[in-house]
Amino acid sequence: MNKNITRLAIGAGLMALTYLVACGEAERSTTVVVDIEQVDPSSQEVVFWYQHSRQREEALVELIEEYNRTNVHGIKVRGEYMGGYDDIYNKMSVAIQGGTLPQLVVAYQNQALAYFEADGVVDIAPYMRSKKWGLSAAENADFIQAFLQQDNNKGVQTGFPPNRSMEVLYYNVDWLKELGYARPPVTWDEFADMCRKAKAQPFSKSTDKEHSLGFFLELDASRLATMVFTRGGDFMNADKTAYTFNTPQVRQALQLMQDLIREKAVDIVSERYMDQQEFGVGKALFALRSTSGLPFFKSAVADGLDFAWSVSAPPRQVDDPVVNVYGASLSLCRTTPAQQLATWLFVKWFTQPQQQARWARASNYFPVRKSTANELKEYLAENPGYAAAFKLLDYGKSEPAVQGYQGVRKMIADAMVDIAEGGDLDDVLSNLERQANKTLERF
Amino acid sequence: MKKDIKEEAIAWAFLLPALVVLTAFGLFPIVYAFYVSLHRWHIKKAGFVGFDQYVRAVGDPDFVYMCLLGAALIWLGVRLRAKLEGDGPAPSLFSRIVPFVLALPALWLVVRGLNGLLETGDRQLYNGFKVTLFYSLGTIPVQLGASMLLAYLLFKSLRGKGFFRLLFFLPYVTPVIASAVVFRIIFSPHPSSLANRFWAFCGLEQQRWLFESKSVAVLLLQACGITDYPAWVNECFPSLALVSITLYNIWVYIGYDTVILLAGLSAIPRHYYEAAEIDGANAWQVFRNITLPLVSPTLFFLSMVAVIGTFKAFNHIYIMRTPGARDSVDVVSIAIFDQIFQYQNAGYASTLAFVLFITILVLTFLQNSVLGKRVFYGE
Amino acid sequence: MESKSITKRRWLLGAVYTGLSISAVTATVPFVWMLLASFMTRGETLRRVFAPSEIQWKNYLLAWEEADFGLYFENSLLIAALQVSGTLLFSLLAAYPLARMEFRGRDIVFAVILATLMIPETVTMVPNFLTVSWLNRHSPFAWLNNWPALTVPFMGSAFSIFLLRQFLRGIPLELWDAARIDGAGHVRFLFQIVLPLCRAPLLTVGMFTFIGSWNALGWPLLVTNTPDWRPISVGLLQFVSEAGAEVHLQMAGAVIATIPVLLVYFLIQREFTEGISMSGLKG
Repeated sequence: MNKNITRLAIGAGLMALTYLVACGEAERSTTVVVDIEQVDPSSQEVVFWYQHSRQREEALVELIEEYNRTNVHGIKVRGEYMGGYDDIYNKMSVAIQGGTLPQLVVAYQNQALAYFEADGVVDIAPYMRSKKWGLSAAENADFIQAFLQQDNNKGVQTGFPPNRSMEVLYYNVDWLKELGYARPPVTWDEFADMCRKAKAQPFSKSTDKEHSLGFFLELDASRLATMVFTRGGDFMNADKTAYTFNTPQVRQALQLMQDLIREKAVDIVSERYMDQQEFGVGKALFALRSTSGLPFFKSAVADGLDFAWSVSAPPRQVDDPVVNVYGASLSLCRTTPAQQLATWLFVKWFTQPQQQARWARASNYFPVRKSTANELKEYLAENPGYAAAFKLLDYGKSEPAVQGYQGVRKMIADAMVDIAEGGDLDDVLSNLERQANKTLERF
Repeated sequence: MKKDIKEEAIAWAFLLPALVVLTAFGLFPIVYAFYVSLHRWHIKKAGFVGFDQYVRAVGDPDFVYMCLLGAALIWLGVRLRAKLEGDGPAPSLFSRIVPFVLALPALWLVVRGLNGLLETGDRQLYNGFKVTLFYSLGTIPVQLGASMLLAYLLFKSLRGKGFFRLLFFLPYVTPVIASAVVFRIIFSPHPSSLANRFWAFCGLEQQRWLFESKSVAVLLLQACGITDYPAWVNECFPSLALVSITLYNIWVYIGYDTVILLAGLSAIPRHYYEAAEIDGANAWQVFRNITLPLVSPTLFFLSMVAVIGTFKAFNHIYIMRTPGARDSVDVVSIAIFDQIFQYQNAGYASTLAFVLFITILVLTFLQNSVLGKRVFYGE
Repeated sequence: MESKSITKRRWLLGAVYTGLSISAVTATVPFVWMLLASFMTRGETLRRVFAPSEIQWKNYLLAWEEADFGLYFENSLLIAALQVSGTLLFSLLAAYPLARMEFRGRDIVFAVILATLMIPETVTMVPNFLTVSWLNRHSPFAWLNNWPALTVPFMGSAFSIFLLRQFLRGIPLELWDAARIDGAGHVRFLFQIVLPLCRAPLLTVGMFTFIGSWNALGWPLLVTNTPDWRPISVGLLQFVSEAGAEVHLQMAGAVIATIPVLLVYFLIQREFTEGISMSGLKG
């Protein structure tokens, strides 16, 4: 008897809980069109979730504190470290379903799309266009348009770029000179030749002359993206409705890598950051990596053989340089109209040239506004690597920003493994295309 | 009667605190996961789809029915055989033929059903189960056997056993983030990694360890110079990457198992051993007739927990995953994780989680019926 | 005859010690490397040298300061203490009837308790957060960003209940019957007689709960927004960034995080020595 009653009680409790949860979703307010011009952002509190830690977080907190001191509306921003990108996604998921949302959050494009679909974040475009609070025509033009476009999905601005990184070619200046070259490679053919020469002739300062080659290829979709973009290709078709991998540009890129790997002029990265390390000790002539790794390369070389090195645009097959630009953006969460406006005002302030310059210096990221160059003159002079990459900002191109792209990245990496091991390009690429397009069906 | 009710009331009163917490934080998530799995759900609920996602995961329901029917026939055959043989002293021809007649179509049904499921279901899920199975079978017997031996050795009077116990427990105590990273470095494909140095010391060719997706059987054949082999040699054996991760798991959990077994050994009243000594039993007899039975509840516990644990395993596998291993280390938990964080698909992820849950449930039930009877509870 | 068995015994002992030593070395090599790496520079960790050329004590200072280890340490200790006490109490109370009392539905309850172990954590975090969130809104005290959310969900530990139940079932029936004949009620029996017998298993459960609580990462991140109640595992996370993990600092942090656990283990491992002395029972 007792047991039955207890069973019923437990069962009822469970059902009640489930019901409550299901109802909890109805509590979220529906879209109400509000006139942004009329909203008053004074004294609002903005909670900002980010993944930055240690030095970057310190720099960010400094900027936040300055904003709190100097803004005329009495807006108070509070930054909170929330773990890595996946941890933040987890937290946002639960917050959207039944917790408290922050006002501002760092999100990758595909995550922002998921948040938008769940009514967790709002369209930033109206704020950008607002006469009272938005960007002037001059300000808008100052932004690197490609960056703004990356966060724009069919007219909806799901995120706003606070900074960007790009993929560049790191090269060993001294070793190149020894091999008889005065400048870094401009075309992929030149690159291939240099790799072969590097294999044949190790760096004079290297302590391990048995192992020497041109380049360690990381099996990562972003590396392939660089190789494809610089040949004038892309991962998706023009209107972004389907993935295209069995294209001439992708084939050329992978064929070259497969050939070079066979000739042992190129090897694959089998341990994280080993390409940085091998570059630092002069066993690899080149490295293809994000600019956010600049300080790590600096220390790898300093700890290693201390030679002259620099960065340049990756080799290409088209006339102008092309760089793969990426980075997470800031998304505006759906809270109250006043809080949303206050958040936008903070973002606007953060992306102004003076703040961008400070942030760039502290974080090693690149700014998203062209006029920041004026504020960074000294820094550019002191950091030639950074300066060299800075000039390439206008040539940025980015990877697909559709939902499910994260999963496709893994498929691409698997395909690269196949090809590195000598797989048939046709088979692998058509398979990849098919599987990638399947993921699009689910959305 | 009154006393019984009082007994029951006390029992439930004792159980209540833990049950309340468990219901809220242990049972509710299972119910919730099932609820989510019935919907299209990215971050928010987006439409009821019933069992569609289960069909996508497991395969065409027709094949599920086939398997179930086959399993039912097998069970029927076993029961019939037991009943028929229970009647007479010797098994008659009849009692052998009937189950046999049932077994053939039953087996055909199961095999055909499984085949169909593999074809129509989610390859990632079935690969996940295959990898999980390899992983489980690789770690549990080794873990339990070694730790039983170690616990017994450390329990008896042995000099420095406190010191040894501390050392063996170190792996479990270290935070996974750190120890998995260390293992990643040890088993890295780089020629100077510890594993490769050790391998070279033994006179063998360097391996790619965590980066190697080829199965250990293939590598063995290649080492013997055989380059031509059927595809199943690669499919039906764990990859070297998985073996490396298995080694990590064994390394961590031997200490854990040993500690628990030690606690179990300590709970055996001394007078049993004293009585055995008086009777003149030798070490092996004592172990077999006293220690083993009295520690069997603990062993049973460990084997159950190990099965549940290895089937759910995630953290360290995630840290030690490399692109080179492809999907040869992707256990079901990783497939679930990928669905949430790479495809933002909470609905399908919950489906996979629930399928995993049912699998573990069935496995534990089977384990209990087979092994549970052999546990000696001091009665 | 005598000397032959002595040499045989010595030979066996020698083999045992060798075997144990080899196993011990295998068990500790990774930890040794971790210790060594915590004293290296970043470059040295990347080059995988065996030992640092210079001992970088500053790694520890840096790790402690940068990751706010002082505060996190306190938090971890408090959370662990609360979680262990709660778990021990609830689990012992629950294991007792499951082990030795007769009541209807006993086996089903046990099966249901076990079932809660079988669902992967990745999908339990969201519903649990929703529950805790709801409790936060409808409770007189705060759950989120506070100790309740960090400790209570784990106090119903199916694992601990299972382990204690196994131990309790292993206690000989004579003990139970003897006490009952003497007229002891369940509560008295549990706390006066069974509890002392269960020292080793209870300490084991306590220690494992302590370790679980100490190393938990995903859940604490989810239910805390500020460093006020964050544990040490979150501190360690900060050394992994997108452009390069700082292994040497990560290892220093990990060593700092591991020491208390080792201490706890060292203090209680003596309890695993002797069996229980049953003298006086038969009388």
